[in-house]
Amino acid sequence: MFHVVLYSQWKWSRLIIALGSVAAFALPLVSVQGAARPDTSPLQAAELLQSVQSWGTLYPVLAAALGLLVAIATWAPDHRGRHVHALSLPLPRWRYVLLRFGGGATLLAAPVIAVAASALLATWSATIPAGLQGYPVALAIRFALAVLVAYAVFFAVSAGTARTAGIILGLIGGVILVQIVAGVANIDLDLFGKVQVAVLNWPGPLAIFTGRWMLIDV
Amino acid sequence: MLKHTTCLCLLTVMMAMTPGRLASQSVERLQVRADSLLREWRRANALADMVDSLNHARAGGTDTISVGALRIVTIPSPARLREAAARAWPVIDSLYGSEARQLEQRPYLIAPYDPDTTSPKPTLRGATQVPWDKDVASLAMMLLMNVPIGRPDSALQNWLGGPVAPIVHPVQARAAVYVQLVTAPSQPARNCFLGVMNDCRTALTLGQSPDPVDQWHPSAAERRALVSRSFAEYFSYSDHGARKPALQSCRAGSDSACTELLRSLPAGVLPRPLTYDARAALVHVALRLGGREAYHRLVATPGTPIADRLAAAAGVSVDSVVALWRSEILTARPAPVTVPPWGPWAALGWTAVFAVCALRSSRWRVS
Repeated sequence: MFHVVLYSQWKWSRLIIALGSVAAFALPLVSVQGAARPDTSPLQAAELLQSVQSWGTLYPVLAAALGLLVAIATWAPDHRGRHVHALSLPLPRWRYVLLRFGGGATLLAAPVIAVAASALLATWSATIPAGLQGYPVALAIRFALAVLVAYAVFFAVSAGTARTAGIILGLIGGVILVQIVAGVANIDLDLFGKVQVAVLNWPGPLAIFTGRWMLIDV
Repeated sequence: MLKHTTCLCLLTVMMAMTPGRLASQSVERLQVRADSLLREWRRANALADMVDSLNHARAGGTDTISVGALRIVTIPSPARLREAAARAWPVIDSLYGSEARQLEQRPYLIAPYDPDTTSPKPTLRGATQVPWDKDVASLAMMLLMNVPIGRPDSALQNWLGGPVAPIVHPVQARAAVYVQLVTAPSQPARNCFLGVMNDCRTALTLGQSPDPVDQWHPSAAERRALVSRSFAEYFSYSDHGARKPALQSCRAGSDSACTELLRSLPAGVLPRPLTYDARAALVHVALRLGGREAYHRLVATPGTPIADRLAAAAGVSVDSVVALWRSEILTARPAPVTVPPWGPWAALGWTAVFAVCALRSSRWRVS
């Protein structure tokens, strides 16, 4: 059964996976461009770190985009068919959802492997100045976790009904409204800050996305 | 303060008027002048008293907070200055040692104000204004960053690039120096990182060199990079563009042109291999090794070379101080990965939570 679900999901999201894998493979290699040039300048270490850091901002973006697109592609055909096919299968609902989740997660292994392979290749081929080190494995593991979290978040949102989406949007709108009203009333209330800390700092759900994503660091 | 200034001015004027002409003036004329000066002095005194009393009345009096030798003259308020002083004093005392006694004569002037009103802030001449509700940690940091101790001699300040001050976040400061050692655009700094102790002295600018360009930036590539990246604009426009040809030669690969351009920079402009943080960390190592009298010894001999002063302060050779500094910097290597050890488990946990949310979706419930 898993093979069937996996195959159907592959058909729906192969373009996303293919393009995502190409981007994932390119990113580490592009980030160390210049580290192996023959005319290396003495300012190379600082420049290399700056370049790696600048390109590093794209890892969480790519992870989030892959999670979002694959989650949408996973549920889109079911939504279009009003879930008739799913309900006609001789499967309990929870098992069907797990199969779908597992199928998407398995497909997302491709871009993660691409990042890992490319990161290893980049650190091996680049001339890394003394004092700096490559962290390809740590970066690949972090990318894998970020992809998984993003996929899980959007998978849950996508699996929900319009009512669920409405509730989530309503909650977000409520926070914004309260913040605006507090600002107008000159009340010292920083809801945005608190929510941001809760969501983006450890152990918040999106903390894996924050911080520096460095393939090469001190 | 105003009284003292007035007296000094009047005395100075009197002394300046005295020589040369004394012989030609009669006693009566001098008596008249002295009386006139006395009248001016009394008037100035009365004015100063009035200003002081007005300030005093407006401020509602002052308090003096004493913790160790630390003194804070402040306006009565709920600001937690005493607690802040109690936190700051041990740090100040451990850095300056016996010289910290200077602070008995050099108080902080702090004027706390109510942050929630629009009424005029209380004034205390020369005081730092802070809101009442500032937390103790911030107040302590403010005290540490503005210690009103006597400035050391200019040679020490010029070498260091600032005053000898407490390092508020020592771990982060050492980590920043570690990054500098790895990334500084200077061969001596990188060699120091790799363990060449003589280059550590060079990177810390402890040696006396007639040609800092050659010493601090020994390779041609470094010099060319320095000219073209840091000073290209300066050399393009300085002296009405007279140095533009040399700049072009330098860019084309002429090391002699690059070197000459760098040598033509005004004194103190040539970037040193490492920044203030690195040298401040070295001074702190020396002061820590030398005990309570270390700071006194450091500032006691302004004429001697910095390396000798650091050695005298530490009570060991300067090479030992530099070696310990390097070892501490290398130990402070910053953590490269920002994910905590339990981070992956937290991420997997959130993944499971969201997956369960999907399982519980109302779309799938049979009503």
